Amino acid sequence: MSSIILEARDIRYRYPGGMEAIAGMSFHIRKREKIALVGPNGAGKSTLLSMFNGMIRPVSGIMLFDNQPMQYDRTSLRVLRKRVGFVLQNPDRQIIAPTVFQDVAFGPTNLGYSETEVRDAVTLALRQVGLEGFERRPPHHLSGGEKKRVAIAGVLAMDPDVLVFDEPTSGLDPAGSEDIMELLDELNHDGKTVIISTHNVELAYPWADRAILMVNGRILREDIPELAFGNPETIRKAHLSLPTLLELHSELGKRGLPLPGKVPRTVLDIMHGIESLIESKRSTIRPGTITVCNIDQDMQGYLPAWLAGHPGIPVGAMGTRAKQHAENVQLHLDFTYGVIDKCILKALLGENSLILTTGSMVPRINQRVDAYGKESGTCIAVALLVPGPASDIPGSKEGDSP
Amino acid sequence: MFEEFLEEIAQKNRLRQVNTYLKLATGVSAILLCLVSTSYIAPLFIAALLTFAILFLARVDAKTYAELFIHPVWFGLVSVIGIVLIYGGPTVFWNWNPLPWFSLSITRESINQGFFVFSRIVGGMSAVCFIALTTPMTDLFTVMRQCRVPDVVIDLAMIIYRTIFIIMNQVVQIYHAQVMRLGYSTWRESIHSFASLCGATFIASWESGEDLIRAMDARCYDGRFAIMGEARKPEFMPAVALCGFVFVSSIVVIISHGITIL
Repeated sequence: MSSIILEARDIRYRYPGGMEAIAGMSFHIRKREKIALVGPNGAGKSTLLSMFNGMIRPVSGIMLFDNQPMQYDRTSLRVLRKRVGFVLQNPDRQIIAPTVFQDVAFGPTNLGYSETEVRDAVTLALRQVGLEGFERRPPHHLSGGEKKRVAIAGVLAMDPDVLVFDEPTSGLDPAGSEDIMELLDELNHDGKTVIISTHNVELAYPWADRAILMVNGRILREDIPELAFGNPETIRKAHLSLPTLLELHSELGKRGLPLPGKVPRTVLDIMHGIESLIESKRSTIRPGTITVCNIDQDMQGYLPAWLAGHPGIPVGAMGTRAKQHAENVQLHLDFTYGVIDKCILKALLGENSLILTTGSMVPRINQRVDAYGKESGTCIAVALLVPGPASDIPGSKEGDSP
Repeated sequence: MFEEFLEEIAQKNRLRQVNTYLKLATGVSAILLCLVSTSYIAPLFIAALLTFAILFLARVDAKTYAELFIHPVWFGLVSVIGIVLIYGGPTVFWNWNPLPWFSLSITRESINQGFFVFSRIVGGMSAVCFIALTTPMTDLFTVMRQCRVPDVVIDLAMIIYRTIFIIMNQVVQIYHAQVMRLGYSTWRESIHSFASLCGATFIASWESGEDLIRAMDARCYDGRFAIMGEARKPEFMPAVALCGFVFVSSIVVIISHGITIL
């Protein structure tokens, strides 16, 4: 796969006068990976994360960034911290400045960008997290989820290669948590390496490429999530709980109903398994079509017309900007997270569905549906919504897509 | 008890989007006109105009405005009574000599002077309220930078401004926790609870100070703070309103020259 970006070689750390927080760990993280550090409270997750951007220096052992040992002098640390962005658990502790704009601009200003560069970086970062128009707001007037997004934007504005999140979903409501996890997915899709620490197994299990289970400052298990979370004994030792899907999978197996195919990561996977057990029912239904609408194209006028022609069609939005767009045009969304999977589930029931998304995410929908098709043998059609002939939709030729 | 921050109103009022300089100019010119005026009429006239602007243009809640106004006015009233009693003058209405070297008197001149000072207090207060209620602190930072206030002062002011809200939040939480456990039920208990509230707040602010340094370090702090420029051009209508206000008030100042109440 791709090359290694972060590596730890037998690192140890002891807080002054306290117990050993990191008791000898070695691991590596590759570029563009999604890593979840999972462990109970006090496992040393936060301490470990603080080592990734040099906030804490290991007592022994070395940390490598981009195959170079980390240096702890001022200049090297600045370079390191520009490339490894750290988002703290409590956004109140991270947000420094009195307005959203000033806070997001904090990093770029200190990196010595010019005024226009700062402005561009801030605009881009706020756009990525979906907080356009919040520039003048003071942070204490924002909700928990919005504050979290400001904190993330503040880090994104420095355009780091690696993003480190300490408990990204703590203090957020379930929908807010899913939103943030999807934002992390988007960022990873844009080429960032994303590392999170969490004790929320259900969130980490479907999301991560690789999971590192930690307990008492040691690595208990480091593997793909199916294996890392798959062993009840390891899970018990780590004071965690089995992800519901894995538990369901193993319980079905125990009852003589082994599901074919790979271990399920999502509801879609497990439904596929169950449906292939009940072969007969599936073959009778012709799968529905998933229509994809790219909001970067000018859909003004066309989309409402299309929707009027397809009453009651379930609509999902993928990505922050797509959700915002839906809100702006007052479109009711049926799905806001796990959108592709939910639409495939609908398609399997023979229903059509619509996904609103941005240009860069369109290929991803195709990939996901194709991958599912190959695996299951069911062919689901994905259609891209293109505005019809200009004659029947006035104003569709403006085309000032951002 | 902590809910009605001035800042909250400043962030939400209807004049929030008006160019900061126009609002500042309104307030400052009002104060100057109050100081220049030699009669009680002009300051009261200015106060009436600004109160109208606060209540009907900025749409600030009248009760909040009255509460804000009443405290300094009380304070002013006490000072005015002092002025009336010791200012002296030839036309004496009432006189009292409690001690050989100390006398109190109410004269025509002292009443005039007292009322004049009082009207200036009211005028000045309304000007200050106008700025405070329509212009959030964050906009003032921009103006401070443009007026070449040293960066250190502005940076400190901004960090203090941001920290006030975090610490205030913590104080409210601790206070509620104490109230829920009957921390303020008796006088003795109140003293004790208040002391521990202060102690806990001190520790909390110390910790958030350390967090702040860490957060700034993690984001490559190099002694620079971004400031938002004033992107809003002075709008036509508010600019006209400001000119009209200054013009009319100046005329009132000139016409009412030397007019006294008695």
